[in-house]
Amino acid sequence: MSHEPQHLLTVLFLVPLIGTLAIACLPETAARKLAIAFSSVMCGLSVWLLSQFNLETAAEFQFVEKMPWFTQPFPVQYFVGVDGMSLSLVVLTAFITLMSTLASTSIGDNRPRLYYSMLMLLIFSVQGVFLSLDLLQFFVLYEMELVPMYFLIAIWGGPRRSRAALKFLIYTFFGGILMLAGLVYMYTQMGVGAGGMGTFDMTELARLPQLLPKDVQIIACLGFFLAFIIKLPSFPVHTWLPDAHVEAPTPISMLLAGLLLKMGSYGLVRICLGFFPYFFIDYGPIVMALGAFNIVWAAMACLVQQDMKRIIALSSVSHMGFVLLGVASLSSAALNGAIFQMISHGVISALLFFLVGTVYERTHTRQLGEIGGGLAKQMPTLFYFWMLGTMANLGLPGLSGFVAEAAVFYGSFTSPMAQSATAGSFVQGWIIVAGLGVILTAGYMLWLLKRLFYGEELAKWKGHLSDATMTEKVVAYSLCTSILALGIYPLMLSKYSAPLADKMAKEAKGHMTIGAVPAANKIARQ
Amino acid sequence: MLPTFLPLSADQLKWFVEHAGLIVAAPFLAGFLIIMGLRASKTLSMVASVGAVLYGLFHSVAIFQALVTKSYPEPFFQQNIDWFVSDAFTLSVGVLVDNLAALMLIVVTGISLLVQIYTHGYMREDPGYSRFYAYLSLFTGSMLGLVVSTNLFQMYGFWELVGVCSYFLIGFWWYKESAAKACMKAFVVNRIGDFGFLIGILVFFLATKDFWQGQTLLGFVGPGEANLAGVIHRAAEAHALTTESLFVISCLILMGPMAKSAQFPLHVWLPDAMEGPTPISALIHAATMVAAGVYLVARAYPIWLTPDGQMGAALHVVAIVGAITAFMAATIAMSQYDIKRVLAWSTCSQLGYMFVGLGCGAFTGGIFHLFNHAFFKAMLFLCSGAVIHGLHGEQDIRKMGGLSKSMPITHFCFLIGCLAISGFPIFSGFFSKDEIIGAAMHTHPVIGWLMMATAGMTAFYMFRLYFMTFSGGYRGDAHPHESPASMTWPLLVLSVPSMLSGYLGFNLANLQAAFGGASAEHGLPNHFAAFVFGPFGPHFEGCNLPLMATSVCVAAVGIFLAFAMYQTKTIHINKSFAESREGFAHLLYNFSFNKWYMDNLYFGLVDRVFLPLFRGVWTRVDQVVVDGIVHGTGLVTMSVGEVLKYLQTGRGQYYALVIFAAVAGIAWLAYMMPPR
Repeated sequence: MSHEPQHLLTVLFLVPLIGTLAIACLPETAARKLAIAFSSVMCGLSVWLLSQFNLETAAEFQFVEKMPWFTQPFPVQYFVGVDGMSLSLVVLTAFITLMSTLASTSIGDNRPRLYYSMLMLLIFSVQGVFLSLDLLQFFVLYEMELVPMYFLIAIWGGPRRSRAALKFLIYTFFGGILMLAGLVYMYTQMGVGAGGMGTFDMTELARLPQLLPKDVQIIACLGFFLAFIIKLPSFPVHTWLPDAHVEAPTPISMLLAGLLLKMGSYGLVRICLGFFPYFFIDYGPIVMALGAFNIVWAAMACLVQQDMKRIIALSSVSHMGFVLLGVASLSSAALNGAIFQMISHGVISALLFFLVGTVYERTHTRQLGEIGGGLAKQMPTLFYFWMLGTMANLGLPGLSGFVAEAAVFYGSFTSPMAQSATAGSFVQGWIIVAGLGVILTAGYMLWLLKRLFYGEELAKWKGHLSDATMTEKVVAYSLCTSILALGIYPLMLSKYSAPLADKMAKEAKGHMTIGAVPAANKIARQ
Repeated sequence: MLPTFLPLSADQLKWFVEHAGLIVAAPFLAGFLIIMGLRASKTLSMVASVGAVLYGLFHSVAIFQALVTKSYPEPFFQQNIDWFVSDAFTLSVGVLVDNLAALMLIVVTGISLLVQIYTHGYMREDPGYSRFYAYLSLFTGSMLGLVVSTNLFQMYGFWELVGVCSYFLIGFWWYKESAAKACMKAFVVNRIGDFGFLIGILVFFLATKDFWQGQTLLGFVGPGEANLAGVIHRAAEAHALTTESLFVISCLILMGPMAKSAQFPLHVWLPDAMEGPTPISALIHAATMVAAGVYLVARAYPIWLTPDGQMGAALHVVAIVGAITAFMAATIAMSQYDIKRVLAWSTCSQLGYMFVGLGCGAFTGGIFHLFNHAFFKAMLFLCSGAVIHGLHGEQDIRKMGGLSKSMPITHFCFLIGCLAISGFPIFSGFFSKDEIIGAAMHTHPVIGWLMMATAGMTAFYMFRLYFMTFSGGYRGDAHPHESPASMTWPLLVLSVPSMLSGYLGFNLANLQAAFGGASAEHGLPNHFAAFVFGPFGPHFEGCNLPLMATSVCVAAVGIFLAFAMYQTKTIHINKSFAESREGFAHLLYNFSFNKWYMDNLYFGLVDRVFLPLFRGVWTRVDQVVVDGIVHGTGLVTMSVGEVLKYLQTGRGQYYALVIFAAVAGIAWLAYMMPPR
């Protein structure tokens, strides 16, 4: 194995922050170019990171860097590292950032400096979340994302932006409180339970909380779990998402769906499953049911929407349901599928929101009734991209969405959960319900495509629309190519997360068969 | 021994078998190249697309020869690569070549080649010419991928891919509202089938997952006992799978073939799919894709048997579904006026025959009918395309007539096709249909007689179509003309197998023996059954003379009635039906003309029940309850209404204060909780 480059992660960690400051300090006219430059640097660095990553130990953290700051009254440190899963997400972050920066043409002269520096700040916190190995650092970055996102929606959003931004803020902040509560509770329980064992080191936490008594684990996990399903989002706390998406400008929607939702799913895997597998052993079937319900519920809701952006937004809820389903099933294949879904959905939803933006910029309406169909006449190239996006979203084989869905379906249906004596048929029943999503998704996506592109063009559009511009083609081609590549040969991505998924599933299964906390007595008070 | 087609050595033939993946890759590559740039030039697009499938045909013939001459000594060739790997299981994709696949490869590449040549003439003036070739290539690739699939998972993948290509091609003329509706309907109905298919695979996988023992997961064939039948057998021995659960699995999986092969009640998409350009109706909706369902049932035949390999309830379901479809589609076809829709309903009906064949244990017969049908139905569709082309888009047979004079080649080929599909002796359909009816008579006499009656109806409606289109005087106002050579040559080429392919599955010596009084139970070998056979091994039947005579008579009656009603117009039953305004005849006619009201039922359900239900539930739950609760009570409340006010008055710090107070409170609570 080659020598690991020094400080690579720290450099990557800091690039967006430097970007934020640089853009803020330099003139308005340079803002867009600088943002593109910084996101390209991020892409370059993450590709380098990818090439230096040692696949044989993909389940372990690599490129680890640690810098303690103070230890009293509680330890605070800078701690970063990546394993297979966070590496994939870091690469996704860089890629989607570049794409959405490129797609930000519609911002134009509307305070670009502020916009791009906010965007970079947002990316700093999102990427930071994926890199963090210290829970406190994780929490701070997780919450920090709120500020730039709030302003990005509230300043550059649509007509009802302030309400949407506030709704986003409140939901997410509420999640933050819950997470903080879970975090503090966990810390105190560990600290009190065994003197000096309290830590925020996530590598340690992957091992230690499992030693806590079962119900303590479950309470602590609940805080995190609620925080993450708000972000994911999942029924019944999903209603902030359609509003935020509908009002957010196109590139911000791309980031929101492509990256921000992934913080929730990442947290679910890394923290909920990684720290507290007991939660899933006890409540896995219910979480799986929730995931399956999300898939069908959101798909059903999509069928009755009139606003194209709302359809895509709700379809995100539906697709993130696969993550819940996969994670909670404790099957290595389904877990790997869930991780695959994070990346795949990141790219697909970015593409779809981008495409919604291209139509909106030309027609200035998102209402399908007002668009009236027939856009294919003047927008043939965009029509093809839309077709690919649609097919990717409805899980067509050969495109990335199918891989994740197939892995989750196959994995969860043969998972320990689906075979358990008590909840087996409950779980199987819900997976079959989730299967109905296959029909509903096809229904709403094709109906959307039909109402946009098929049929006769309305008279008012004659000569008023234009096909894709060069920038749009570059963005759409890049996103489509990745969707296609991941779909045809999924191993190139899944090999990074497979060792981790296998390891986590194995550990969880271990707990399941033992059936009792092995060292619980050691740590329990007297 | 069959003749050898290509001057290739045994080693070369072996190479071809082991590189069968190239057949699949070539059209995909062509499609990709056309999309990426060749589409700028019409000629290049055409050359790439036709070239790829021409290569495929050559390669397929080589494989066929290798298997026939036993240059490739093994019964099958299989190669897999890992596609999704995890601790729990590995999903793979690969290439499987055996006799059944080799036969299908030839059918698909052969018909695809002819259709693509025909397309050059048919679509020459269409602005989407290159795009059409791109879709055709992608479809051909997907269909070939389906044919060589090694396992159920892979087949499901390509299954969806052919479906999406069909979606693109039906909606090829996207500006037509009817096409837009039809393509969506096709995809969604197929997805309903795929849902069952998926769940079926999952249940099957759950039951058998411990019994694959290192071989390809969900694979069809394997060395020795390591095949589908073996796995089912082992699972049943270990009580992981019972006869009942296998029956449920087979019914679920059957939903896939029922949708793809347009079987009742999921057949509704096929007639509407005729909105697509005619070449794809011939290729996709007559010869290849719709036969995929039949192919799947044949491929995974052990799933439809009982765990110990006997015919059981699942096959009865297959036969019943097929019988209902065949009968229903034939009754509907008798009253339709659109030339392509009559053919579509007849496709539906003939696919029903294939299902009956497989369901009654006539494995070879079902596949043989698939093989024959592919050629004559593709030809019939291409003929209808030539007619439509010659009449500048007219599809209504009431506005045709007398075309035999202006379109002699088309007329000739159409007649051959009608004879073949009607089961007229010596033409191909006769042999395979008789084999199916014979098997049905043996296992389910009711179905057998129903199929016999359907055969009569088939002869009637096909000749009704023929007489209304080609004989009498011209009733339209276009200027009919014969098509260009690129369209007529494929027709003529297809007319050869339509006449002769039946003899592949028939040994004339059997006929002689039957006249000599031999029993119909066992006969002398024929080429087709010796090459393609089910899990029970090759089975050769003799001639059943009474049955043969009956079916000839039935077909003759059907043809005669059509002749008397539409050619000489001496019998007027048809008029009395169509023009009746009340009574039983009126009811029957409308039932047939309105396609058994299935569309009305489905659209009624979707528009009047499901969508309003979804809308009602969604509005109530998501907008009122969920948003209401979150907005109306709890912590967040303080915020939405109040905080908005604070923010607007510049007092955002109150909001922050509330949040932080809450955080502090929760943290304090957490700290105070008794540790344990």
